[in-house]
Amino acid sequence: MTDPLETIQEEEERRRPRQRFVLDDTGFDEVPRKYRRFYRRWKGRSDTLRPNEVLCPVCKVVIRSTRELRPGDRVYCMPCMSRLFVVLNEDGQLEARVAY
Amino acid sequence: MAERPGEVHRLEPEEFLQEVQSFEFWFQSVEGYLTGRRFGHLPETPEEDLPENERDRLITALCNYCVGETAALEGASGLVAIAPNRQIQIFLSTQVVDEGRHLEVLLHRLRSLGVTDPEQEIQKRVNRSLLAFKRRLFELVAGKDWEGSIFAQNVILEAMEFSVFQAHARRADPITREILDGIVKDERRHIGFGENDLGRRLKATPHIRARLGEIKRQLDPLVLETFEETLSELAVPPDERTQLGRAYLAVVDRLGLV
Repeated sequence: MTDPLETIQEEEERRRPRQRFVLDDTGFDEVPRKYRRFYRRWKGRSDTLRPNEVLCPVCKVVIRSTRELRPGDRVYCMPCMSRLFVVLNEDGQLEARVAY
Repeated sequence: MAERPGEVHRLEPEEFLQEVQSFEFWFQSVEGYLTGRRFGHLPETPEEDLPENERDRLITALCNYCVGETAALEGASGLVAIAPNRQIQIFLSTQVVDEGRHLEVLLHRLRSLGVTDPEQEIQKRVNRSLLAFKRRLFELVAGKDWEGSIFAQNVILEAMEFSVFQAHARRADPITREILDGIVKDERRHIGFGENDLGRRLKATPHIRARLGEIKRQLDPLVLETFEETLSELAVPPDERTQLGRAYLAVVDRLGLV
């Protein structure tokens, strides 16, 4: 049975306006210049992802968005040409899954 | 499209595919990391004086990379003719160019290391399992088996190269590292294309899964042996080798081909 309190919290979370992010060029050079700010290199397991970032499971590049990401969002990894969607994993972290 | 687009993730899926599978996209992408390089590295990058045994091991690795890249070059060329549509033909033509460039920079690196006859050296040092893999890939292409060929080439072969080149680049001399880093950037497009194309086909026609599973069973031992021998040649520690092998396993897992 769904906890009514949990449902209310989820609803409030969904209604909360998304944070916005200004993306700057991080030196990522594998896509055309106009798209570069949407990607950055992954620094390995110690790399902390921000709320607007997910890691591409196919090619291990960090995908960035101008807004906070939430489960169900669609993102594209241009360096490996993958379409992905955002999910919440078992650890409560945002994760990207490939949508074929 | 405007120079500074809005949120790239708002593109429609078809619009996204048309954009990334184009020659225009390829050209502007490689311009970012190949401009100013000659044969894959900056002209001012210094040549490191390698001890003889390390130089010898590097030559063996490069000879095998040349065989892998030749397989990918001939494989991708053959795939252009059997591609299911023009958009994919255009993407594959960019892959053919990438593979040709890889082969050229690797041959050039062999010559700069003092190998006067790369062809003869390759014949002497090539891994037999890699040759067997290449033969099987060409059979699949000649048999016009699109899914089998894409699986063998853009999933298995490219995933192996992607992992091996990254591991090698981390411990290579500066020139070899720059060359391999540039190749890895190209490989991202190839592995992504392979996994996504095959993923879409498996979703639409799940019955092909059994046939691909059979191809995987045939090729796995060849890939693993090649992988193991190359990584051992590069003195990659066993725990790192296991981690690298996982990248390939993750792809086949995502495609449901375990």
